[in-house]
Amino acid sequence: MTAPLPTDTPIIQMANITKSFPGVVANDDVSLAVLPATIHAIIGENGAGKSTLMGILYGRYQPDKGRIRVSGEDVRIDSPARAIRLGIGMVTQHTTMVPALTVLENIILGAEPSRAGFIDSRRASERVSELAGSLGVELDLRASAGTLSVAALQKAEILKALFRGARILVLDEPTATLAPQEADSLFRLLHSLRDSGTTILFITHKLREVMAHASRVTVLRGGKCVGDRLTAETTPDDLLALMIGQRSVAASILTELGASPLDSEPTPAYLVGREPLVPAAAMPTLELRDVSVVNRRGAVAVRSISLDVMPGEVLGVAGVDGSGQRELAEAIVGLRPLQSGSIRLDGKDITGRSVGDRLRAGITFIPEDRHREGLVLDFSLAENLLLGRERDRRFGGGALLDLRCIEETGEETVRASRVKVPSAEVAARNLSGGNQQKVVVARALMGDPRLLVAMQPTRGLDVEAARFVYEQFQTAQQKGLGIILFSLDLDEIFAISDRIAVMFDGRLMGVVPRAEATVDRVGQMMVGRPASEAGST
Amino acid sequence: MSAAVRIRSLAQPVAALLVAFAIAAVLIATTSGEPFPKSLSVVAESFTALFRGAFGDVNGLLRSLAKATPLLFSGLAVAVALRAGLFNIGAEGQLLVGGLAAAWAGYAIKGLPLIIHLPLAMLAGAAAGALWAAVPGVLKAWRGAHEVIVTIMMNYVAIYLTHYLVNGPLRDPATRQTATPTVLPTAQLWSLPGSATNFSAGFFLALLAAAAVAFLLRRTALGFEIRAVGLGPDAARAAGISVPRTIVTTMCLSGALAGLAGAVEVLAVHHRYLDQFSPGYGFDSIAVALLGGLNAPGVTLAALLFGGLKSGANEMYTQTQTPIMIVGVIQAVVILAIGIRRLRGRREG
Repeated sequence: MTAPLPTDTPIIQMANITKSFPGVVANDDVSLAVLPATIHAIIGENGAGKSTLMGILYGRYQPDKGRIRVSGEDVRIDSPARAIRLGIGMVTQHTTMVPALTVLENIILGAEPSRAGFIDSRRASERVSELAGSLGVELDLRASAGTLSVAALQKAEILKALFRGARILVLDEPTATLAPQEADSLFRLLHSLRDSGTTILFITHKLREVMAHASRVTVLRGGKCVGDRLTAETTPDDLLALMIGQRSVAASILTELGASPLDSEPTPAYLVGREPLVPAAAMPTLELRDVSVVNRRGAVAVRSISLDVMPGEVLGVAGVDGSGQRELAEAIVGLRPLQSGSIRLDGKDITGRSVGDRLRAGITFIPEDRHREGLVLDFSLAENLLLGRERDRRFGGGALLDLRCIEETGEETVRASRVKVPSAEVAARNLSGGNQQKVVVARALMGDPRLLVAMQPTRGLDVEAARFVYEQFQTAQQKGLGIILFSLDLDEIFAISDRIAVMFDGRLMGVVPRAEATVDRVGQMMVGRPASEAGST
Repeated sequence: MSAAVRIRSLAQPVAALLVAFAIAAVLIATTSGEPFPKSLSVVAESFTALFRGAFGDVNGLLRSLAKATPLLFSGLAVAVALRAGLFNIGAEGQLLVGGLAAAWAGYAIKGLPLIIHLPLAMLAGAAAGALWAAVPGVLKAWRGAHEVIVTIMMNYVAIYLTHYLVNGPLRDPATRQTATPTVLPTAQLWSLPGSATNFSAGFFLALLAAAAVAFLLRRTALGFEIRAVGLGPDAARAAGISVPRTIVTTMCLSGALAGLAGAVEVLAVHHRYLDQFSPGYGFDSIAVALLGGLNAPGVTLAALLFGGLKSGANEMYTQTQTPIMIVGVIQAVVILAIGIRRLRGRREG
């Protein structure tokens, strides 16, 4: 430990950092200074170089040029192990937890308190419980990490970093998958950590979070540092302009989506105000009747839910993470069997049918985790677009594949989706997150499906990609596609839903038309008040 | 695939082979009993004899191709399974039951013309292998039992079951060997007459099988599903591919190929099922599949190479007294070198 620094000396200085990967300069002469015991935000669109910069700080990459100082001393951070010794902890979007180990085992992994060569599990448990308790984090330390929700995993990751003595905490888009309440509680945690002397660096897309929680913000665009502001001396518009440069259309969506419905009456947003597409008498596309589902651990996760999705509408499903949304989505798609109840598509019972049968009947899926469930990363884009449709008549009709047709479809789709690649033969692994998601969306909307089950479809995307996703939804809706949208981002739910359903603890708290929904009302339902009782004060 | 990618995909097996030969060279040199500079010439002589024996003359070459035949069939078996992410360690057992089934169909079914009898006997071998591999496939697909454990156990069951049958109910009482009766001429696969090379039409069938596997993986919906399940099981499942069905189908396919390895050995070379006729082809095939990069052309080259090493080993031994086991060392090092790469690659990915 070094002596406390004067508060005006940066605890982290990264000077003139340049880092190239084959074909792309990820960081171009970037400099960053972070004062101790502050919350510092780094913003920029996908591909702006934020994650690379933080990867360099955490020793995951070596810069081609540039210097790093921690606590005023020149350091060479050649590995994450070195970064941890320097007191730097990292919480990424993708979990580092070993699914088969318990939360406790994951937290102490590599830093186990031991006695005579054996893990002192009682002491480990005490220390971790104490740490969690002091921060007000509630976690079942004995649950295996594989069963946790994204939000719970993230809390465990923060504990893991702190357990290793981190005094500088780097978070990569920490709120990307959190419900507003969870995000608030995360920031409360970060504020109290800051008050006790921890320095926080976080990457985000959300200007509202920057303005509300950071004292200073660094803006990256195209690998370059384009601005460094005290939040007290800047405005969201200013930051937005720095972030996206000249792209005014995209800017307008971001302003709309970024407009904070949590502070005010909901702003009529992107798609709201369009004509209703559906005649009132139409038959529902999807009918759920008394659907109950159990989760991976066998506990009831969805309790007797009945819902309809009409053709051409977006039914947004809001709820705190882990309220049963994932299990419900998987049950609709066919990945998870029903405990009881029934599912109909266009009036036909599909309750016991397989994922493949439902796909052919017209149910498509945008999964939550695009790396694991959305894409086969080592497949080309053309192959990823073929996934699940390899026996369709148009691609050969069962036994053989029509390679020419597959290639043409791939190239056409990639072009139509504005995926920035030279050809559809590129492996999905080599694409940025936004481009990967465009491929997942394009596949889900291929061949005029009847119902789209979309989970967090714009999670972690930049403005341009998110806008593309919404446009694609809208076009498909006009052809009569019903969409059930599961999202933890209330802004997104409010921006594109025709009706909003709210889940709490596996139950449906109610469904309200968008016009009658306020964030306050939905928020009350999200914490367990039925729609009839939740007022719109 | 671009030329650059192709060259990179060749670099790994070539490096593995170089390491394997280097280690073999060190072993030969240190066990030769000769002082330092002379021991090097023993190494040189051994390798020269090895390759001359394998590819030096027509007979050697034919013998190499004959040895490569079962390796190619079972190497393809292991490769296909591994493309779906399934480690089929059970090729040996599938090969044994395939061989026995082919032998039985070859001697017990009488009165059929060759054009029906021979394919029928081969089919019996393939079906028995498929059935043997279906057991671990089904257990993996619906019960989550790890296929490595189950296929290893199935190997023992196959070894002792065939041992029992060929010593008991299926034994030919007319011979002193533990073997089944001789396969009828209508079920015998053509082999080079009057030659001790064991070269047979089986080699061409193996090449045909390699072409079929390449076609399957590249051009068919099933092949696409196999690759998808191997590279991204969760994505395949979410996209509507039935992972359990693909696992079982792949294991059956893999077992059928291994069963054919046994069937061809029986129908073309021994003309009967000889107890313990396989010197471990099913195990060697793991090295063949890995060295071949799990694709049909690569596996073909690897099988030819290992077939050559096996057939050249005798020549090496008679000329230089370098033990035949050195070939086993080369195979083992290849598995380790490529296995390590695969494990590391998986972690990085």
